[in-house]
Amino acid sequence: MVAAGAPLAPLLAKELREIVAGRALWIMLLLLCPLVGFGFFQAVSLYGDASQSALQSPVLATSLSPFDGMLIPTLGSFYVGVTLLFPFVAIRALGSEKETGALRLLVQLPYGSATLISAKLIAIASAWVLCTIPALSALVIWALLGGHIGAGETANLLAGHFLYALLIGAIALFAAAVADSSATAAIITLAFTIGSWVLDFALAGNPGLLGSISRISLTQTLRTFEQGLLSIGLVLGIVAAICAFAALAAVWLPPGVNVRAKLVRSVICIVLAGLIVAATMRIRLVTDVTEDQRNSFPSADARALANLSEPLTVTVHLAPEDPRYVDLSRNVLAKLERVMPNVTIRLAGDRAARTAGQDEHYGEVEYVYGQRSDVSRSTSHREILPLLYALAGREPPRPEPGAEYPGYPLDANAQPALAWFFGALPALIACAWWWSRRPPRIDQTIT
Amino acid sequence: MQSHVYQQHIGALDVVGLTKRYGSRVAIFDAGFSAQSGEVVGVIGPNGAGKTTLLEAIAGILPCDGGKIRWNGTEPSRRRDVIFYLPDGVRPYGDQYVEPVLGFFAGVYRRAAGDLDAIVAAVGLNPVRGQRVRTLSKGFARRLIWAIGLLAPQPVLLLDEPFDGFDIKQTREMMNLLRQIAAGSRSLILSIHQLRDAEQICDRIVLLAEGRIRGAGTLAELRAKANLPDGTLEDIFLALT
Repeated sequence: MVAAGAPLAPLLAKELREIVAGRALWIMLLLLCPLVGFGFFQAVSLYGDASQSALQSPVLATSLSPFDGMLIPTLGSFYVGVTLLFPFVAIRALGSEKETGALRLLVQLPYGSATLISAKLIAIASAWVLCTIPALSALVIWALLGGHIGAGETANLLAGHFLYALLIGAIALFAAAVADSSATAAIITLAFTIGSWVLDFALAGNPGLLGSISRISLTQTLRTFEQGLLSIGLVLGIVAAICAFAALAAVWLPPGVNVRAKLVRSVICIVLAGLIVAATMRIRLVTDVTEDQRNSFPSADARALANLSEPLTVTVHLAPEDPRYVDLSRNVLAKLERVMPNVTIRLAGDRAARTAGQDEHYGEVEYVYGQRSDVSRSTSHREILPLLYALAGREPPRPEPGAEYPGYPLDANAQPALAWFFGALPALIACAWWWSRRPPRIDQTIT
Repeated sequence: MQSHVYQQHIGALDVVGLTKRYGSRVAIFDAGFSAQSGEVVGVIGPNGAGKTTLLEAIAGILPCDGGKIRWNGTEPSRRRDVIFYLPDGVRPYGDQYVEPVLGFFAGVYRRAAGDLDAIVAAVGLNPVRGQRVRTLSKGFARRLIWAIGLLAPQPVLLLDEPFDGFDIKQTREMMNLLRQIAAGSRSLILSIHQLRDAEQICDRIVLLAEGRIRGAGTLAELRAKANLPDGTLEDIFLALT
């Protein structure tokens, strides 16, 4: 009989070897070099152009943040690569075993399906770490050029990219478990990833159900991290989605279970995951991790607003796709929701009335605090916060003298970096690929 | 080959009323037989008889529509604790080298390095240990599967077409190896379509045709059943199927 508690180390080592042995990982790494490199080069050039005047004026310099100017565009090209290429790396973790019949040996080993899928997910996460080499090297070059890197916002954004990649990996594993071939699994996974882009383009800004659907698209997972926000609800939601897809992959992995039983277990998984994701969407715990605190009111205002305990109701007479609503939401409403204990925001009227021009109050925003109310058309916190203090009968707090964000202008020449991304790094990756394919050393005790 | 390499097991596997359907088509119907420790049982039948389906259903790789598998009279909670199945036509982890693939299975079952070397030597894999699995010839790919089966400690080993890819001399070598494995009290159930091979290696034979067992027993018992006292396995097979 087989003893329980098989060691995990050989399984993990096998999964890592299998991912590294495939061409998909190396080809993705090679393609990421020019993709990330060109994105980085363009970002640094544009940042340099913007920095030229800012270097003469400290006021202008405060608006120059490497987070927006370099980090997001550079990791943006990495995101494109992960969306389009990473599914092929992840699918290999299971697809090749299905195609060669090795899966029929694997499922007989003393591991549960959950253990097998977890090991594959760890291998996929390790593959993503390898894939970050071009992006991380861009950060190193930026630092060598004299650029500033904010640790918190950078770590937060990288964590977002990691969760996004793991979600893609879990979807790919599920697709590989369900599909008979790797090609079918790739089609299923790309339907999720590219389908999310389509959802975003088609439905973003729509109110109601369509808007809600667009908010849970894959591309939305990164948006909050790119705004410099660490949302606990979002992180838990993504983790729940990753676990759900991994659980579905584990349900569909064993060939010895009939389809009806698999379908029943899948429905249970989906319902549970749906409930957990819905619960996480209600968690409002969000931290602004940006160095310039762009997502927060000044600290004195934040403290004063946190003490306004009565309910605040904001009624917005704007269409969701109106740029003023986008500004208001980003500059005021989202910050109010994070800082005040009891805020309700609602859009007034229906879409038809707004587009037909029948809303005579269109453009107005009504603030009701306790028994008092006021109306404003402003989208700036500088006008709205005094209005709120007046409604609450409080004195506006005095601004605190503190360390203002200085901004980090940098006019650097990134031309030499192109040689790294288009020459040296691909050459190093090709050498590592060749080295990984060397035959093993064999120590025989008996011949 | 050191004797400790093959683990000792005492017991009996019973297959009772196993049935497998694909939609309305019955692939295996009410199959039942047993295999004792140290016994080599051959499932023989023409192509399409259901040999592979039967082995995969016994191993739990295919979901069954009915029937039971018992080990020493009780149903094991997990069949993989008792049975290890070596499929036909599998070339696992083609992009990896033979050595780490074997090392993986040896590691999972906590086999000593000496055991691995002994098994590799016994199945004749030494010349290709440093070769990629994808580049192995059919015969060496088959030897790799044999080695994986020998590394697995389960008391019952199911082998689908174990001599496929071997020439006459190699088949004879592997038959001797099978005998050594069975001597370690393992039950071996083989699916074979070469009747001559089956006659030489099997202690008992299960005749399968169109998913139904047409006869099971020793060659002498089958001769008596077919009323062919001097008949070859081929004669018996033709008479009973």
